[in-house]
Amino acid sequence: MPHLLRVPEIAANTTEGTLLSWPVAERDAYSRSDVIAVLETSKAVVDIEAETDGVLLKRLVTEGTDVGVGEPIALLAAPGESVDDLAAALRDLGVGTAAPAPPPAAPAPAPAADGHRLFASPIARRLAREAGIPLTDLTGTGPNGRILRRDVQLVLDRPRPPEPAPPPPEPETPAVGYTAVPHSRARRALADRLAESKRTVPHFYLRGTARVDRLVALRRELNESDPPVRISVNDLIVKAVARAHVLVPAMNVIWTPDALRRYETVDVAVAIAAERGLVTPVLRSVESASISTIAGRIRDLVQRAGSGRLRQHELEGGTTTVSNLGMFGTEEFAAIINPPHSSIIAVGAVRDEPYAQDGEVRVGAALTCTVSVDHRAVDGALAAEWMRAFVSTVEHPIQILA
Amino acid sequence: MDPFVAQHRSLVTAVPWTGIVTDDDDWDAADPALLTAAYGQLVLIRAFEEYVLAAAADGLVHGPAHSSIGQEGGAVGSVLALTADDTVNGSHRGHHQFLAKALAYAEPKGIDPSADHSDDVRDVVLRTFAEICGLDRGWSHGRGGSMHLKWQQAGAIGTNAIVGGGVPQALGSAWAHRHAGTDAVAVTYFGDGAINIGSTLESFNLAAAWRLPVCFFVENNHYAVSTTVDEATGEHRLSARGPGFGVPSWQVDGMNVLAVHLAMREAVAHMRAGSGPTLIEADTYRYFHQNGPFPGSAFRYRTREEEAQWRARDPIGQLAGHLVRRGLLTSSATEDATTRAAELMAEIGSRVFQPLAGGKPGQREIKPAEWPDPAFVDVGVRGDLAEFADATTEVPGPAKEATFIEAVSGVMARRMATDERIVVLGEDVHRLNGGTNGATRGLKEAYPDRVLGTPISENAFTGLAGGIALDGRYRPVVELMYADFLWVAADQLFNQIAKARHMYGGTTAVPLVLRAKVAMGTGYGSQHSMDPAGIFASAPGWRIVAPSTPADYIGLMNSALRCADPVVVLEHVDLYPTTGEVPDGDWDHCLPVGQAAVRRTGSQVTVLSYLAMTGYVLDAVEQVGDVDAEVIDLRWLDRGSLDWDTIGASVRKTNHVVIAEQGPVGTSYGGWLADEIQRRYFDWLDHPVQRVTGGEASPSISKVLERAAMARTEEVVALLTEIARY
Repeated sequence: MPHLLRVPEIAANTTEGTLLSWPVAERDAYSRSDVIAVLETSKAVVDIEAETDGVLLKRLVTEGTDVGVGEPIALLAAPGESVDDLAAALRDLGVGTAAPAPPPAAPAPAPAADGHRLFASPIARRLAREAGIPLTDLTGTGPNGRILRRDVQLVLDRPRPPEPAPPPPEPETPAVGYTAVPHSRARRALADRLAESKRTVPHFYLRGTARVDRLVALRRELNESDPPVRISVNDLIVKAVARAHVLVPAMNVIWTPDALRRYETVDVAVAIAAERGLVTPVLRSVESASISTIAGRIRDLVQRAGSGRLRQHELEGGTTTVSNLGMFGTEEFAAIINPPHSSIIAVGAVRDEPYAQDGEVRVGAALTCTVSVDHRAVDGALAAEWMRAFVSTVEHPIQILA
Repeated sequence: MDPFVAQHRSLVTAVPWTGIVTDDDDWDAADPALLTAAYGQLVLIRAFEEYVLAAAADGLVHGPAHSSIGQEGGAVGSVLALTADDTVNGSHRGHHQFLAKALAYAEPKGIDPSADHSDDVRDVVLRTFAEICGLDRGWSHGRGGSMHLKWQQAGAIGTNAIVGGGVPQALGSAWAHRHAGTDAVAVTYFGDGAINIGSTLESFNLAAAWRLPVCFFVENNHYAVSTTVDEATGEHRLSARGPGFGVPSWQVDGMNVLAVHLAMREAVAHMRAGSGPTLIEADTYRYFHQNGPFPGSAFRYRTREEEAQWRARDPIGQLAGHLVRRGLLTSSATEDATTRAAELMAEIGSRVFQPLAGGKPGQREIKPAEWPDPAFVDVGVRGDLAEFADATTEVPGPAKEATFIEAVSGVMARRMATDERIVVLGEDVHRLNGGTNGATRGLKEAYPDRVLGTPISENAFTGLAGGIALDGRYRPVVELMYADFLWVAADQLFNQIAKARHMYGGTTAVPLVLRAKVAMGTGYGSQHSMDPAGIFASAPGWRIVAPSTPADYIGLMNSALRCADPVVVLEHVDLYPTTGEVPDGDWDHCLPVGQAAVRRTGSQVTVLSYLAMTGYVLDAVEQVGDVDAEVIDLRWLDRGSLDWDTIGASVRKTNHVVIAEQGPVGTSYGGWLADEIQRRYFDWLDHPVQRVTGGEASPSISKVLERAAMARTEEVVALLTEIARY
């Protein structure tokens, strides 16, 4: 029997995406685990793998189309199966202009953000379902935080925001002096997230400058031993951040409305300016990984970011981000925290500069880092303690390898 | 040396205990028509039983087939001494008892063994065989089967699968015969196993105390399944039981149909003369095991030799010998009668069986069209309430104040005045100025023969009332002094009264009212403090009313007394002294089946309650103050009578349900209701259905422990306070 390929729910609260490409041609066979569609969501590019062997009978959307979760995107069949009347088969499956639209996928039984069951009474569930309100949008006031009828009613009774005024009519003649580049889904999501961060997360900033002659020397020495992957200054910085987090574990936290979450491992995101856009994949357990492992993993992430092949789970988690503009010669800068992280470390370029030592002016390599901190989670003194640990580690890089 | 010289006297029983033995002179004196009629019945019943066993062996009878082969002489000899107005009931081994009475009714002149069977006889045999096979054309549409054979019109008022279970009901039939002014009698057949069970012994006593025209006919076949009489009792002469209760008793050879008949004639004469009950022990034998086509010796509790000795005295053979000896039938005519009966059974078989599709030659199956429709399964659990068509529900005004107990005795007095069918019975209901609580005040004086103080034997008098209700001429009102005594009468209340209508086909009315007193809070302890609502709710057939005000009591009791189903009226002693407004006119109005009362309207939570707890709930709502509760007094509690319209409207409004009752959680009422509510209204609920009940243990004597064991205002306050937090 022919059946439909529908857009899966790629991550919690992801409701739509863009069909990026069709790796399998129409009427071509595929095997189990072959990639048969590639979707882009606001967070990731996702390969849709075949669950069984089969044939792709027909694509229902073209590349670049926006598709919602649950929407049918292709007609599939068992290996060797052929269907003469595709239109009829689609009609039987409820797809087509004449047929009614497929019922919206039943909302999943409202998992809470942490994956646990969200308590809601039977009538609250029914009313929310009828009104199309996700339970995750509701606040329960009953026993055990159970969402009650009145909690749904509260939202239903809330005055609706006025409809936005219609935009002024577009001038008939094309605008002069610019071209409108439509936002990509990823760009829009990034914009929303950073704007939200700057608006709601109280940032404060600490700047520290480290002498990095020894760091530069260490890097050279490491690379002279012909490692599988060349070690960059940034790799060493990422490792130094992890060590500083181990020394000052109160920095290894994120703020949530109910509680401060302290983490056991140090998971550090790295900002990668890929051609497709800025992404921040996360390196897990950096504190216990060797420097060559770190270097290899970052290199892999950079490459896959360039080809849009990062997995959704690689984009989630972590407590801090390292953003490095040193390769562009930027001396120093301050970055916007990447939610839900509690900090971001902006790394400038290694440069020679004069400094005073033993009453004499000398020249040496220096590196300036600015850490942006979420004041809800971390206070200034704590951040300063962290900065001292970080600078000390960078200035005594043998500790990075320890 | 014994210093006492007390005089010793031999005592004798107050009533006769007689053995009857016949000889050839008696056989020669017997009316030829009696002997041929007996032969016609015996031969047909034997053929019937042999055909049932053959069908059972072929797997065509679902359930046990208790054959009476060997015992037919007792039933036939005794039934031929009865008239159509007399009634019989019987035991699990009752094919022969039922057929003897039904055939005598279908063929009043007696079955002629030399003639073909009449259409009426064929119809009786067909419907009986079909019932045993569980088929739609049976007397009870196949619901009753082998052990529940009933044809009221013929005076066959029902065989019974509970050993001794039918005995008290025969007392009710006998009571109705006598109260109606007839000289009809009731006969209850049972075996040597049933003579040791309480319901039978209680019935001996009650029948003798009330001089009821009932015959206890003991078929002593010497084995209760495999247990011998000698193992089961110290007095194996079972007819010796009778004189101990003041019941004249006869012992007779049950293999001798004439001797049985002569004993029964004497017993019937005694009963028709108004002299009270009788007992006949017929010494007999079943040739086969408890059920099925194998002899008892195959199961090794008796020998083939013993079976051969009994078979040598076969009642049919004995009777045939005398018929031939007297020249009333030729030898070949007796054999022709046997052949004719076997042919009738083969014909009956062809009506309900067909060759098994794809089977071997001779293999049969039941014709599909003979089965009852599975949709019939629950039809007739209770009646259709047609009896309320002309009931008045209009409450006469104006109102006056009355106590609850005045309403109890007052409405019963009013009904007894307008309805001669009503009869009240129970312990002490006739004395103490209206029983232990004044509930029957003034009734005994006004209606001396309709207010019956019983011996302390709940099983017997409850069963007697069940027999009166099933008889249909009268409407018994039974008082259980304490609801806990339901366990003492449990077989009659739940196996018999509750199931009778459904089990016998769905149309038999069972107009019985049970008044059950709930005495929780009076210090009577663990065995006198029960609220029985939960137990009755578990027994389909019963309707349950729970009045909480004097006015409700009047309307609900009037409905209970009008209803064609058994109705238990719960009475809480806490309520007896309370007062309320009642109509100042005649108390004739009915409070319709299935009508709850909203005692307080509210928006936040629905509290369902009943009986005395309703008042405690209302007090609790006032105390808590900030929970706007809707309080519903259910009034009708059983599954078939609950007011779902009122409950549903309230649940949809409040989305929150509490069921409040006083008694311990184990036998509590609210469990099934909570289940039903969550299934009906799941999508309307904001909270799980919550409950207020007593504790786990039954309330104790100690005042503080009793209070701790039950629920009242404070327990409801606690829950409402918790609810108020959200």
